[in-house]
Amino acid sequence: MLATIPTLFGVTSISYFLIWVTAGDIVPGVEINPYIKQEDIDRIRHNLGLDQPFWLQYLNWLGLPNLAQQLHLIGGTWPKGILEGDFGRSLVDGSPVIDHIVERLPNTLELTTTAILIGVLLAIPLGVTGALRRGSKIDHALTAMSVAGVAVPSFWLALILVLVFSVQLRAWGLPALPSSGAYSPLVGFDPLDRLSHLVLPALVLSFGYLAIWSRFGRSSMLEVLSQDYVRTARAKGMSERRVVYIHALRNAVIPLVTLIGLELPALVSGGAVVEIVFGWPGIGRFALDRAFGHDYTAVMGIVTFAAILVVLGNLLADILYAILDPRVRYT
Amino acid sequence: MIDPAAVEVALPRTDVAGTAFRPAQSYWSESWERLRANRVGMAAGGLVLLMVAIAAAAPLLAAYVVHHNPFGIDLYATFSPPSGAHWLGTDEDGRDTLIRLVYGAQVTLTVAFLSVTVSLLVGGTVGLIAGFYGGWLDNVLMRFVDILLSIPAIYLLILLTILQPKIGPVQLSTSDPRSLAVIIAIVSWGGLSRLVRGEVLTIKNRDFMLAARSIGASDLRLVLRHLLPNVLAVMIVAASLNVGAIIITESILDFIGLGIQPPTASWGNMLTNAQTYFYHSVWLVVLPGALIFITVLAMNLFGNALRDAFDPRLKS
Amino acid sequence: MSEPLLEVQDLHTVFSTKEGQVKAVDGVSFELNAGETLGIVGESGCGKSMTALSIMRLQRPGRIVGGKVMFKGQDLTRVSEYEMREIRGREIAMIFQDPMTSLNPVYRVGWQVGEPTRLHNGWDARKAFSSAVSMLGRVGIPSAASRARDYPHQFSGGMRQRAMIAMGLTTTPHVLIADEPTTALDVTIQAQILDLLRDVNREFGTATILITHNLGVVAGMCQRLIVMYAGKIVEAGPTADVFAHPKHPYTWSLLRSIPRLDAETHEPLKPIEGLPPNLVDLPSGCAFHPRCAFRVEKCSRDVPALLRVGDTQQAACWVTQSGTELKGG
Repeated sequence: MLATIPTLFGVTSISYFLIWVTAGDIVPGVEINPYIKQEDIDRIRHNLGLDQPFWLQYLNWLGLPNLAQQLHLIGGTWPKGILEGDFGRSLVDGSPVIDHIVERLPNTLELTTTAILIGVLLAIPLGVTGALRRGSKIDHALTAMSVAGVAVPSFWLALILVLVFSVQLRAWGLPALPSSGAYSPLVGFDPLDRLSHLVLPALVLSFGYLAIWSRFGRSSMLEVLSQDYVRTARAKGMSERRVVYIHALRNAVIPLVTLIGLELPALVSGGAVVEIVFGWPGIGRFALDRAFGHDYTAVMGIVTFAAILVVLGNLLADILYAILDPRVRYT
Repeated sequence: MIDPAAVEVALPRTDVAGTAFRPAQSYWSESWERLRANRVGMAAGGLVLLMVAIAAAAPLLAAYVVHHNPFGIDLYATFSPPSGAHWLGTDEDGRDTLIRLVYGAQVTLTVAFLSVTVSLLVGGTVGLIAGFYGGWLDNVLMRFVDILLSIPAIYLLILLTILQPKIGPVQLSTSDPRSLAVIIAIVSWGGLSRLVRGEVLTIKNRDFMLAARSIGASDLRLVLRHLLPNVLAVMIVAASLNVGAIIITESILDFIGLGIQPPTASWGNMLTNAQTYFYHSVWLVVLPGALIFITVLAMNLFGNALRDAFDPRLKS
Repeated sequence: MSEPLLEVQDLHTVFSTKEGQVKAVDGVSFELNAGETLGIVGESGCGKSMTALSIMRLQRPGRIVGGKVMFKGQDLTRVSEYEMREIRGREIAMIFQDPMTSLNPVYRVGWQVGEPTRLHNGWDARKAFSSAVSMLGRVGIPSAASRARDYPHQFSGGMRQRAMIAMGLTTTPHVLIADEPTTALDVTIQAQILDLLRDVNREFGTATILITHNLGVVAGMCQRLIVMYAGKIVEAGPTADVFAHPKHPYTWSLLRSIPRLDAETHEPLKPIEGLPPNLVDLPSGCAFHPRCAFRVEKCSRDVPALLRVGDTQQAACWVTQSGTELKGG
């Protein structure tokens, strides 16, 4: 767990490095205003401290306070800045990136946590069913769906679902699901409205998880059922139901939780594509919008933020795993 | 001194009824046979090969079979359904869908296979070195990989595509399939290196490695001659399973507009404006995505078949 | 002679493999009397474990296709699954070979040891747990009260096997089946476990079936023994008699292939020629004949039945049944 500190260090450094490697001396506004004079460019460049040699810029970035002020605009406030929650400012309007992130974070979390929940709640029973009825038609059908499910591009699935549930339903005069946004702006805060907007994106996002997790749950369950301790349990004369749900299931779920835990870090970023397709006002879509607007610092701020969350998420997953598996706890 | 000829070695009698026999076979030919026996896998592999062939023959197809080229705009025939003139219909600019799909295959498959190759070369090398030498080198390399993997792929890709980094004299721009392939490889080599390193660690400690070292094999020889062949199977399987994921990643980038730009056709960017196609032509929404799905599915099935062929123990 | 506690009559268990059907248990019959210790000996694959699993009706994916297992007036091969569950763990208990993997890693040892009494005696958690603690103490686990709260991975191999034995005994079953209980343990621990089993047999009076491939284990533990080969019983009798004058060439060869203190000096150990039989494609006639030093023509044609040879022993061998003594080279 101590390893997370150097990892955080490295993560943020890479973001900075990438920016420098490619656009070290970009000056905002150059592309927007083709008439800008060279002397203005030079002046801005100087003000931003971009004309300093790389090594000096990096040192500043590392936290030498006086010079750090000059680099404020290109997110040069790491690490002190980041510890204070400053992820730089947008090149477009100078607003703090963190404000944008905070504004959209709940939307993203709403989407991803719902999707993960749907995934887990469906994957475990499907996996167990597949394992218990191994070789049956149901099992084959489930396996085929899993294999196919992994191959489906999420944005295409989204489009198809929108086509069916939004466009077609409307064409047939039936109540339809909305195809974009998280809520109808005219309605105000109405849980049912929000829910109807949530359905399609969450389903699309959960689909990918479901395909993988149900297959994994099945194979994990099969493996556990072939273990010696399951044979011991049967030899003790308990019902098959007890063998499966009390002795086998808990062991089978552990690897699955590890797998699910791997998604925790992606809580913030995993939904990016779905957000984009559905126009969901989350962090992923924000990043894309800014990318098109060449707002490099905003994008970098988002990337840094997301990466930090990934590292923290990994930590959380480790903790969760320790709670579930006593072997990890006591060693 | 013992006279070797005088020692009677009591080997088990093998001419006894009930004992089984079969001729010796190398790991690779055994695996190939197992692969051949897997009909689903072979069919999937065949499908992929067919697609590659069609994609490679795109210009020929354009000239002699389909009689359209992917850029041919015909504003009198926009959104037309499948017909004799346009076998799969046309898009919003009247361009023939079928030939665009074929050229799209060319783009997507080029990016995918190139990307996987680069990814494998870089990731494989790093994994081999880190696993083989261990120690601080391993720590540093894996720490770097951890960091790289901590950054969510989508965001990193978005960042890279807008930054359009330069590697040495080469400018990477995402509108060029080869550059796009390299960019995607930058993001995906990390996972492969971890996998290879893990496999190396397992094999490194096997007795045959120790035996080879004890007869004086150099490090390079150990890695290339003894380690690599054993790791190769895992690398091949991982690479083929990755192709599908890369195809999807590339499609996503094209779809959101950060990858291959129109008018160059790719399956992803043919769907960029799909929301507007709903009322005009459902074909345009379904076909490109279906092709992505079929290709990825075939590649995954083939990758699974490869894995089963190389290590049948893994089958549940 | 009182009624035997457990009587296996002509049991047949098969299972299907890619290469064909395997007759894992091919017409096995024997008795187990109250309080006695019976050994079942044989190489890997000879059917000894499958016999035990068949008695417990845990033979899946195999199938019992013939014969009876009479226990307390019931044929265990025919009772319902529900009734069988009542018997498993309560009347007939089984412990397995590898203690490392035979205990559930996510539950505490005390909880697992107490499970049979919760299930079969209807005891509540507290009573079952304290009974488990006392049983763990009786099988020789120190500080049983605190150890019972530990997880299996915190126990050593020998201790885990003791815990398994405790788990099998909590309901004071009539029969304890021990399938290779010491094979996975260090030699020094093996001796301790065997002592424990002996004590348990004496103190609780449980009849024990001890399955092993190790003749040495059988020698110290079992009053009677059965030797199996390729799914059949080839020899049966009191341990001392079988060791002193084996009536089947397989047993005879086995005894000559292990080091013995009472062997004549300067005699080389003789391994048994040939390879173990392919269970899908058994040799004709007597399954052992290809490897047998005493075989005659009849052996490759007809399958010998298990018949009385000598006063106390039974053997399935044409040669010994016709009176020939097994001697020599």
